[in-house]
Amino acid sequence: MFARFTDGSRECVEAAFEEARRLGHDSLGDEDLLLGILRADDGIAGDALSSLGVTFEAACEESEAMLSDALASIGISFEEVRREAGEVFDMRLPAGRRIPYSSLAKNALVRARREMRSMGDNHLGAEHVLLGILDNEDGPAVRLLARMGVSPGKLEDRMLELRRNGR
Amino acid sequence: MDEKTRTRVGGADDPREGLEAVVALRRTLEALEAAQVENAFIAGWTWARIAEVLGVSKQAVHKKHAKRIQARYPGEPPVKGGRGQ
Repeated sequence: MFARFTDGSRECVEAAFEEARRLGHDSLGDEDLLLGILRADDGIAGDALSSLGVTFEAACEESEAMLSDALASIGISFEEVRREAGEVFDMRLPAGRRIPYSSLAKNALVRARREMRSMGDNHLGAEHVLLGILDNEDGPAVRLLARMGVSPGKLEDRMLELRRNGR
Repeated sequence: MDEKTRTRVGGADDPREGLEAVVALRRTLEALEAAQVENAFIAGWTWARIAEVLGVSKQAVHKKHAKRIQARYPGEPPVKGGRGQ
């Protein structure tokens, strides 16, 4: 699965798994891949995101806001649950628990390879993974970005721009 | 007869919102259970008593929580598992 991945994009995937576990996800979602890129990439993908105001910290906050909104839609206040449980409350999965890729995360990685080929690149970097994530049109990552005012088109344009400028 | 009421989560147009609420609730429930078991442990409750209130077997609660909680409180004496049952 990771043939041609650069060290950088592998690190992003590792960071994504750590984020997924920290957030209590039963599987690695495409939003976790996004968080992994934000945490570990200092190339085109990370730069494009941060230039549009999407930092790791801001995306984590937005991710929690999405959870909170989902619970609010069924009348539950995440903030109250957390407050009542006290300071030991932690969404993190127990150590050692292994989680699979979600189908959308898998899809993003398959698409990443396609993006790499169509761009004529030999190595699969974080920017290809990010483009793969954006191909999940209605996935959690794209919706998280939309909540932060960033559309796939805008992000793609920014990445291509940075690429052209030899970043 | 009362008007038929249906619980609508996220509206009929958007089943995804309803399904996502389930996922969010499940994640939160797991974290809440872990926190409350830890709170009970800190309060000195035995695994047997915690299991009784949760309505599950002592083995189940021990298997799910003991490793994590005992790792967090290495100074505590390990809670005895009782006589095997």
